[in-house]
This record gives sequence, structure tokens and C-alpha cells, in this order.
Amino acid sequence: MMGLVLGIETSCDETAASVVGEDFHVLSSVIESSIDQHRAFGGVVPELAGRAHVATIGPVVRRALLDAGLDPLNPAILGIAVTSGPGLIGSLLVGLSAAKAYALAWGVPFVGVNHLEGHLFAPLLERSELEWPLMTLLVSGGHSLIVLQSGPGEHKVLGETIDDAAGEAFDKVARWLGLGYPGGPEIDHLAQSGAARSLKLPLSMTGDDYDLSFSGLKTAVVRATEKQRDLPIADVAASFQAAVTEQLLRKLRRALEYHRVKGLALAGGVAANSALRAGVTELAQEFGVEAHLPAMAMCTDNAAMIAAAGTYRLRHDGPSSFDLSAAPNWQLADVS
Amino acid sequence: MSWQRFCATAEDTIAAGEAFAEVLSSSDIVLLSGTLGAGKTTFVKGVAKGLGVSERMTSPTFTMVREHRCSNALGIETLHHCDVYRVESLDEVLDLALGELVEDCAVALVEWGELAASVFGRDVITIDFSVEVDDARILTVDGDLAHARAAQLDRWAS
Repeated sequence: MMGLVLGIETSCDETAASVVGEDFHVLSSVIESSIDQHRAFGGVVPELAGRAHVATIGPVVRRALLDAGLDPLNPAILGIAVTSGPGLIGSLLVGLSAAKAYALAWGVPFVGVNHLEGHLFAPLLERSELEWPLMTLLVSGGHSLIVLQSGPGEHKVLGETIDDAAGEAFDKVARWLGLGYPGGPEIDHLAQSGAARSLKLPLSMTGDDYDLSFSGLKTAVVRATEKQRDLPIADVAASFQAAVTEQLLRKLRRALEYHRVKGLALAGGVAANSALRAGVTELAQEFGVEAHLPAMAMCTDNAAMIAAAGTYRLRHDGPSSFDLSAAPNWQLADVS
Repeated sequence: MSWQRFCATAEDTIAAGEAFAEVLSSSDIVLLSGTLGAGKTTFVKGVAKGLGVSERMTSPTFTMVREHRCSNALGIETLHHCDVYRVESLDEVLDLALGELVEDCAVALVEWGELAASVFGRDVITIDFSVEVDDARILTVDGDLAHARAAQLDRWAS
């Protein structure tokens, strides 16, 4: 039986709630970000994130229910899906506690969802019927993985970062260059007017696997700019961005060479990067597979993807128990 | 007391970390300081190797602390790898309660630890990473250590 599912997402700096219906149709999606508070600090400050979630979770859930045409005091929903990991422990606990309280009050089941599995459901929010299998590049501030999906909820992690996440490298290099937070959009914007070949950066992760690494590139940028202080900052941004996308696309290409798939999908906040979007589109064309580039609102953290993954998990595994606790280091490979 | 060790390459820095693991004992907190790309994470990888951590040491920046199971003869069962790079207020470091985390057969390595040094007081080991040419680094260890461990560090530094 299908029905409406309320999704709640508070794993990092957004407080989000959404109602998703039959065939992952999005009835409402509300996102409140505490990013303005973090901007002054050049990164997410966990304590600030936790406090912001406490203040906004109630109004955000209420807004999501009203937008979906439901009674916010007693909504006719099948269940509640909530991100229970990975993420910042304080932030996760706010969402999880709220989900449990609503589940008790409304007499509906709830299920803990892995945030990364949520991202994998993003393409389904735009098209509930798509051709499997799917190769997905999931890149954000906290994660970088290449995942092979044979169907919804069926996934295998082919490779992941061995050190920093791609978005984290963008943030750290941006902070080093004196740019704002989040670093991705700032570097992307600057890179448009820079020369990507002006800074020689090492080719990274040349091994024959699917693992990723961005710590060495970050260090190379820092060292190179210390040596050549007169390098135009736009050239540094362009060179760094080119090196990151080169590595991501090279690993994706290898994944496509060894695994026959029908589609190539991009997910996570770094999916906003213009060079990466262009590169993935080109790669999909070359391999004759469909490119899935979900709208940015569905690529970045949102609760609709959590509701979608939760709909699947409720159906296949049933609800979570009320003693479920937050799992800040929950790996996607451990989701089954 | 203070000790120095020169590392010519990234591999040397890993080896220095691996050898440093032998000096560690349960409830140690080690603060690592140095600029972006100075080799702190590389050193932590070596320590993890020395402590018998089998899983991958990915960056803890996003969640601030990552916990790793160890397998060694040193009586250290858990390595807490922390990164306080994102932290701007000392209250948040206090909230991590690292002192309590390491009480039970565990040690903590804290990257960007200099930002939070005052929270930990004098009862810590600090390691400063300074960048020489290219991949070369000089590691400087500081701490009030008992005689036996000081002797171990003398050997580590030589």
C-alpha cells in the first residue's frame, strides 16, 4: 500500500521537511538553512546548527504539511521518514527526536533513513520510472562516492574518498584563498574567468580502482600559492576546479567502462558545479546512456529525498523501533 | 620537554606516526598543529597503522570526531580522530568531552588542536608540523612525560 510520507532532514545545516506521495510525487518541500549564520565562520559550526534546528523544526514541519494540503495537527499520512545518519550528532538528534514525537502523537510508524541513500533517490523525485542500472556520482561537503544502483534501494559502493570529501576540499581551498563559504559556488564563479592550465597540479589517484582523494590537491594548491604569491586567484580557482573534475570524470569513465548501465546520475551539493555538470553530460553522451542531473533543489540536502527513501524502507524493512539512536558515522555500504 | 624528528617525504611522516603509536598509552590526548597541508592527516594515518586500525582514515572535519577500533598490544582499543577546524567557540570543544571519550582504553588525536589548546590544559602532548621544502616536514613533540616515555621519545627522535 502506498500513501503519503512525511520526510524530516536535519543532518547538517538545513532543517527540511517534505511530504511525498504515490510514485515519489513531491507534494511539498520546505528548506530552512542556517547557512547565513555559518558564513561568518567559514564552515558549519555544529553548535549553531543544532540550535537553529531546534528553533525551526516545528514551523518547517507545519509548513510542509500545510503546503501538502494536510491538517498539521492530525495529518493523514502513512508514516514518517527521518535522517538518522550520517551527520552531526547534535543536529541529527533534533530531527530524530521530533520524528519520534510526531509518530507517537499521530499514531503512525517512523523509519530512520541513511542520508546518502536519500541522495540516491533524488532522480526518482523527478521521474518515478527510470531505466536501471544507474551509475551515480554522489559528491557533497561531507561525502564523495561512486555508487552502482541496480534498482531503488539496491546499491553497491564502488569507490569513495580516502581522505577529504570533494566539497570539503572546495571549502578549504576557498578559505585558504580568502573566499566565502560555501566554497564551491565561489570557486566555480571565479573559475569562469581563470586559466585552468596556469597552475600545475599533480594528477591524483591514478590507480585502477574507483577511490577518490582530494587532500593532496588541496595541499598542492596551498604549496603552489605560497611559492607564487602573484598568481591571479581566478587562475588558481580554475586550475583547482579542473583538477577535481578531471579526477571525478576519469573515475566515472572507468566505472562506465567496467559496468554496463542505462543511466548516469549526479547527486549532492557539488552537483551544482558547472564544470562537473558539463563533464557528466558529455560522458553520458559518449557512452550512450541517459544523464540524470536533478534540479539543484533536489541535489542539495532536502527532505523529499528522505521521504522517498523512507517510503521504500517502510515498505521493505518496516518501521524503526523507538530506541533507534542517531548514527553520525553510518556508512552507505552498511545500509541493507 | 621537547623532541624533534625530520621527515623528508610523506612516507617518512607516516613512518613517524607509526613509530609514535608505540609511545602512546590509554587516555592520551594529542593536539596536532600546523598549516593546511602540513601533514597532520598523513601522520594520523601512520598512528592508525601503528595502533592496528584496519578501516580507512577519512577526514573527520564534517562530523568533527571519528571513532576507530584498534587492534594492538598497547591496551588501546579505540582511536578518536578529531578535527576542530570548523570550531570557533571553545564551548563546542568542551561539548565533545574528549577527556571522557579517552578514559576507557582510548586515545584522541586532535587536528587543528592549537585552536582549542586552552580547553585541554597542560595535560596533553602537542605535535607541531612545520613545512620545509616540498614534502619535507619537521615534527616537534612537546609534553610533560614520565621518564620511561621520555626515553621512548628520545629513541623516536633520533
